[in-house]
Amino acid sequence: MRRRVLRVGPLAALLFLSPVWAAELKVVNVHGEPIAQAMLTRTPVDLPTADLSDDGYAPHGVTNTTATVITRFTNAAGVVELDDFNAAATYRVRAQGYVDAHLTTLPESVTLQAMSPEQFVASYPSNVWLSQLEFGGDDKLRKSFLLNCAFCHQQASPFMRNERTVDQWVSVIERMNTYGARVPHDYHETMGELLQTEYRELRENPERVPVPRAWESHLSSVEMTEWPIGDGFSQMHDFLLHPNGFIYVGDNLFDRIYEIDPDSGEYTVYKVPHEEGTRLGGILGNRFQVFPKMYNYYGVHSFAYSGKDGNIFITPSMQQSLLEFDVTRKTFIDHKLPGGYYPHTIRTDDRDRVWFTLALSSQVGMLDRTSGEFEIIDLPARSIKEWFILKSLPLVFSFDPENRPTPAPTDESIGLPMPYGIDVAPNGDVWVARLYANDIAHIDGDTLEVTMIEFPYNGPRRLRVDADGKVWIVAFQDSLLVSYDPTTKKFKHYELPVVSEIPYALNVDRQRGVVWVNGNQSDTILSFNIDSEKWKVYPMPRQRFFTRDIEVSEEDGAVYTTNSHFPTWQSEGGIPTLLRITPLEP
Amino acid sequence: MAVRGMYRRACLLGLSLIALQVSADATWQYYGGDAGGRHFSDAKAINRDNVAQLDVAWVHRSGDAERHADQMVQTSTQSTPILLPPEAGESLVYCTPFNRVIALDPASGEERWFFDPEIDRGGDRPFRCRGVAYYEEVRTAAQGDCRHRLYMSTHDRKLWAIDAHSGRPCRSFGEDGVVPLYGKEGHVAGDVSNSSPPVVVDGTVITGSTVIDFVRSKTPRGTVRAFDSLSGKPRWQFDPLQGHRDSGSANVWAPISVDRELGLVYLPTSAPSPDYYGVSRPGNNTYANSVVALDIATGDVRWHFQHVRHDLWDYDTPAQPILFQWTKGGADIPALAQLTKQGFVFVLNRLTGESLWEITEQPVPPSKVPGEVTAPTQPKPIAPPQLLDPFLMPEQAWGLTPIDREDCRRQLAGLDNLGLFSPLSEQLTLMFPGSLGGANWGGGALLTDSPVLITNVNNIPFTGRLIAVDEGDVETKRDHPAAGHRMQVTMHGTPYMVEIGSLQSFLGIPCNRPPWGKLVAVDLQAGTILWEVALGSVHEMGPVTAPFDIEWGTPNLGGGIATAGGLFFIGSTMDRQIRAFDVRDGSTLWRYTLPVDATAIPMTYEYRGRQYVVINAGGHHMFARGFGDYLYAFALPR
Repeated sequence: MRRRVLRVGPLAALLFLSPVWAAELKVVNVHGEPIAQAMLTRTPVDLPTADLSDDGYAPHGVTNTTATVITRFTNAAGVVELDDFNAAATYRVRAQGYVDAHLTTLPESVTLQAMSPEQFVASYPSNVWLSQLEFGGDDKLRKSFLLNCAFCHQQASPFMRNERTVDQWVSVIERMNTYGARVPHDYHETMGELLQTEYRELRENPERVPVPRAWESHLSSVEMTEWPIGDGFSQMHDFLLHPNGFIYVGDNLFDRIYEIDPDSGEYTVYKVPHEEGTRLGGILGNRFQVFPKMYNYYGVHSFAYSGKDGNIFITPSMQQSLLEFDVTRKTFIDHKLPGGYYPHTIRTDDRDRVWFTLALSSQVGMLDRTSGEFEIIDLPARSIKEWFILKSLPLVFSFDPENRPTPAPTDESIGLPMPYGIDVAPNGDVWVARLYANDIAHIDGDTLEVTMIEFPYNGPRRLRVDADGKVWIVAFQDSLLVSYDPTTKKFKHYELPVVSEIPYALNVDRQRGVVWVNGNQSDTILSFNIDSEKWKVYPMPRQRFFTRDIEVSEEDGAVYTTNSHFPTWQSEGGIPTLLRITPLEP
Repeated sequence: MAVRGMYRRACLLGLSLIALQVSADATWQYYGGDAGGRHFSDAKAINRDNVAQLDVAWVHRSGDAERHADQMVQTSTQSTPILLPPEAGESLVYCTPFNRVIALDPASGEERWFFDPEIDRGGDRPFRCRGVAYYEEVRTAAQGDCRHRLYMSTHDRKLWAIDAHSGRPCRSFGEDGVVPLYGKEGHVAGDVSNSSPPVVVDGTVITGSTVIDFVRSKTPRGTVRAFDSLSGKPRWQFDPLQGHRDSGSANVWAPISVDRELGLVYLPTSAPSPDYYGVSRPGNNTYANSVVALDIATGDVRWHFQHVRHDLWDYDTPAQPILFQWTKGGADIPALAQLTKQGFVFVLNRLTGESLWEITEQPVPPSKVPGEVTAPTQPKPIAPPQLLDPFLMPEQAWGLTPIDREDCRRQLAGLDNLGLFSPLSEQLTLMFPGSLGGANWGGGALLTDSPVLITNVNNIPFTGRLIAVDEGDVETKRDHPAAGHRMQVTMHGTPYMVEIGSLQSFLGIPCNRPPWGKLVAVDLQAGTILWEVALGSVHEMGPVTAPFDIEWGTPNLGGGIATAGGLFFIGSTMDRQIRAFDVRDGSTLWRYTLPVDATAIPMTYEYRGRQYVVINAGGHHMFARGFGDYLYAFALPR
C-alpha cells in the first residue's frame, strides 16, 4: 500500500487538539426556524500582494500567497462554528432554496430569505437539468453528446442552457470539435435542434426538472478548505499529494505546476521550459484558436511520484515525452519517448517503474528508472483497419498539424480505442481502461503480458484498484460506478446517488475502504463505502465546480480535488481552486 | 403602507396598459410611433393581400440638395416624420439634416410651411436630424399661438420650440423660441451636436446629445437636460458619468422613451470617452452603457441597468427602449426591451430595472494595455439568443472563391480572436460585432397582438488595433471605416491611435458567411428567435452593378415599422430599396427602388381614409453611396 506522510504537525493539531471556537453562527429562516446544512464560507479580504507579472501568473520560481477559504455547514440546530480568524473576511451563507446572504462580519444569527420559484430553479446545478435532456428518445445521440461534451464543462449550466438558434448551436458544436470533441458531423444539425427544443421546453416547464438531492447531516462533520490558484483561463487538471507536504497541481493549459503549502497558503509556480521553435499545442497543434489565453507547449496532464526519490513524473500530452520534476532542484527533465502519442494518465509502482497510457497510439508506456529504459506495450487493435491506423500514426504525425489528415468521427466510430485511466494494483499488476473501446486491459507486472477484458458498460474512463485488488472504474456516459473482481472475473455496477452525473475519475481510500467518485455536473463529490455500499454526497462550495482528479490523504482521510472546469471562467468566482474535505473531530 | 404601494402600482399598471393600447393607432405623433418606441401602427388598409400594389403617392424634396450641395456629402438623412393631430393642423412634419423643419399636406405632400433655424454649419461633423417632438402646451390659451408646439434639438446645440400651425418660433420659450444646450464647450458645431428628437412630457422637454467620443480622452459631459416646455427654463440635468473628471460623454444620443403613467423617462446611455481606451475612467462607469430610469419631475435616478461595464468597444446603448407589457405565467409586468450593439435583447421590468430573463455573467478577456483594468464579467441574458453569432474562426472564413476564402482564413488566423468583448491591443483584434452593431439606432418594431419584436441587424466583422503614438505626432486620417477604408483616429490624451476597418478579403468582400445584414423576429416572452432573413441585396456594392438582386444582406442603418396589416416596412439597406415583409415569416411581399439609400425609419398613417407609408431617402455619409433630399410617400392606387 502506498503511504503518504503529509506534514502532520499542523494537521494533527487541527484534528486532535481541542480547538477554541471563536465564532458561532445560527442560520434561520424568516420564521425563525433553524436551517440545517446551511453552508458558511469565509474568505479573507486582505492578502499579500501577488506577483502575477507573467501573463497574469506568478513567474517561474516566485512564491505568492493565496487566500485560504474555509467552508463549514450548520448542524441540525442551524448552528455552525468557525475557528478564530483575526483578520478581515467576508462571509457567504448559502442553503438550498434560500437566497445567499453576504456578510462582512459574523453576527450571532442570520436569517435567509426563501428563493422565489424562479430563483430556485435557476440555482439548480447542471445535472438535474441535464437529466431531462432526452434527445428525442435517441439514446445513442444522447450518449454521443455526453461522451463528447461533458468531459470539459458542465452541460446544462446557465452558460449552456441559454436560448440559441440552431445555427448558433451548430457553430458551438463545430467549435468544440476543434477543441477536441468528436461529435460526428451527421449529428450536428440534429443535436443543435434537439438542444434548442429541449432546453426551451425545460425553461417553459421548469417543474419537470427534478429538485437536486438535499444536503445531508454528515456535512456538519466536515470542513472544506479551498486555495484559489491560477485564473479564469487555467485548467487545473490533475494533482498530487507529495510526502514532502506540498501539493502539486498542474495547469494543463499553461504548462505550469503549482507547489502549494496547505499550511500557509503559499504557492510557488514552476513553468515547464520548451525549446525554441516548439509550437503552441505541441505536436498536436493548437486546437484552441478561439480561446483568450493559451500556453500549452507540453500540457501537464497527470502526476505520479517516485517512492524512491520523490521526483514527480508528469505526462505532457502535447509531446512525445515524459516529464520528470526534480522536487529538490526544482527543475524539469524531459525524457523523450521512443514512440507513442498522447501520454495521458500516469502511476508509479513499488519497483520504481513509471506507467502511463499513450492515448492516441493505444499503448502503455513504462519507464524502468533502474535501467533508464522505456518499454512501449501495444494494446491490441480491434480490427485490421484500426491496427493499420495505429501503425500509420507516425506517418500522420509527420504532416504539419495544420494539414494533418484526421479521420472524421462517424456515428459508428468516434475514433481510436483511447487507453485512458491506469492504476497499479497492490500485487504490482497494472490495469488500464480504454475509453472508446469499452474494454479494460490487465498487464502482468512481471511478464508484461496483456489480457483484454470486455467492459459491459459505456465509457470506462479512469480506474483505481482497492486494497483487495478489486478494480473500480467509472462508466462515463452510463453514469455508473463499476467494480471488477479479478478473482471471480465479474463486474458489478452501482447507480450514482445523484442524477445525470458523468463521472470522469475516482480514487480509493484503501485504508478505509472508500471509493471517491468525482462529480462534474452536480457540484458535488461522492463517496462510496465498499463494505456497506452506501453513498455520501458532498456539495461543493462553489457553483459550476467541475471536479476531476481526486487524491486521498490516507493518514487522516482528508480528500482533495480541484475545480477543473474548462473553461474555468464559467465557475462561480471565475478562478480554479484546490479543495480539501477534512473530517472534523466528533 | 405596503398595501397602498401595491394598489398604486396596480393602478399605474392599468394606466400603463391603457396608455400603450391607446397610443398604438393609425396616427404617428411620436418619432417612435408612440412614446415607448414600439414602431407600430394599427393601420391595416395596406396589408398582406394588397401590398404588392403599393405605389408612389407623392414625393417631396426638401431642397437641401440644391441649397447645400457642397455639404451633402456630410449628411445622413435619417428623419422620421410625425403626423400632427387635427387640432395641431394635421400636417406631416419632418426635419432635414440641416435642421430645417417642413410641414406638408399629408395627402399631397405639398409644403405648408417651413422653419429654418439657420444652424451653424461650421466644422466637418455629419449633419443629421432624426425628428421633431410634438406637444400640446395646455398652459397656453386654447386657440393661441404655440398651444401646439414642436421641439427640435439642433446640430449646433440649440433647443427650439416652434408653433405647429405656422412654424414660427414660440417667443415665450427661452429667448425668442430657442434655448442654448451648450455649456462650457461652446456652441461651435463640432464635437457635440444633436441627432435624436427630444421628448416632451408633463411640461418638461428632455434632450440628450451626440458627442464625438473617440478622438479625445476628455470629451464634453454627456449631460441630459430638462427644461420647462413653456418657458424653456432649466428644470434638472443628469450627468451619466459622475465621478470621472478625466473622461466625458456617456451621452444619450439614441431616442429616449417615456412612461408618463409611471413618471419615468428611460435614457439609453452611451460609452464614456474615449471609446477604445479606458485607463482614464477606471471602474464600471456605472451609468454609462446603460438604461437609466429617471423621475420625470426631478431627474432623480430610479434605477439603472448596465449592459456593458467599462466599455472598450463603443457599445453605446444605440436604440430607443421599447416599452411593452410582459404577460407570462400569470404575471403582468410593465416591461422594456433594450436592443444593443452586441446583439442582445435585454428585457427588463421597467418598474425596477430587473431583468425578466436570468442574467449570466460572462467572464471576458483581460486587456493587454498597460493600466487598463477590464471588467471581469459582462452580462448576458439567458434568452432571447444573441441576434448574431460573434464567433468567427479561421475554419469559418468565407469567400467567393478558394483564393479569397484562403485570404480571409489567413487573416483570421493572425487575429487576436477572443470572442465578444475582446479588448483592443497593439495586436490586430477581431471585433464582431463592431461598433456598427448588431442592432443600432433603428431600434425594433413590436407587434401589438404578440410579443414579437422585429429588428434589423448588422452581421459584419471588423478588426481593430491600438497603435502607440507620441501625442501630436500623428493626425487622424479617417474618422469612420466607410467603403472599405480603415479609420485611423488619434485618441488625444492617450498613448494610442485606434485603427478600425471591416474584415474583408482582397476582393473587398466580408470574411464571414452572408447574410451581412438581416432581419430578425424575436419572441420576447418565449425568448426565442422566430425567423430571420437576409436584409438587402449586394448587387450594387461591387465595382459593377449586377443586373439582378443578390440577397446576401447588406450593412444597414435605419429601422423598420410594423403595422396591423401584418407588414414590416424597412429601408436601411445599401441597395436603395424599401421593402415590405410578412411579419409571420419574413417573406418579402413588396419592394421599391428609391433614388438613394433610405437610412431612416419609415412611418405610416391614415389620412382621409387612405393609408400612406413614408420614408426619408437621402443617403448616409458612412455608406457614401450618393445623397439626396427625398421624402417618399407610398399608397395603394385609388
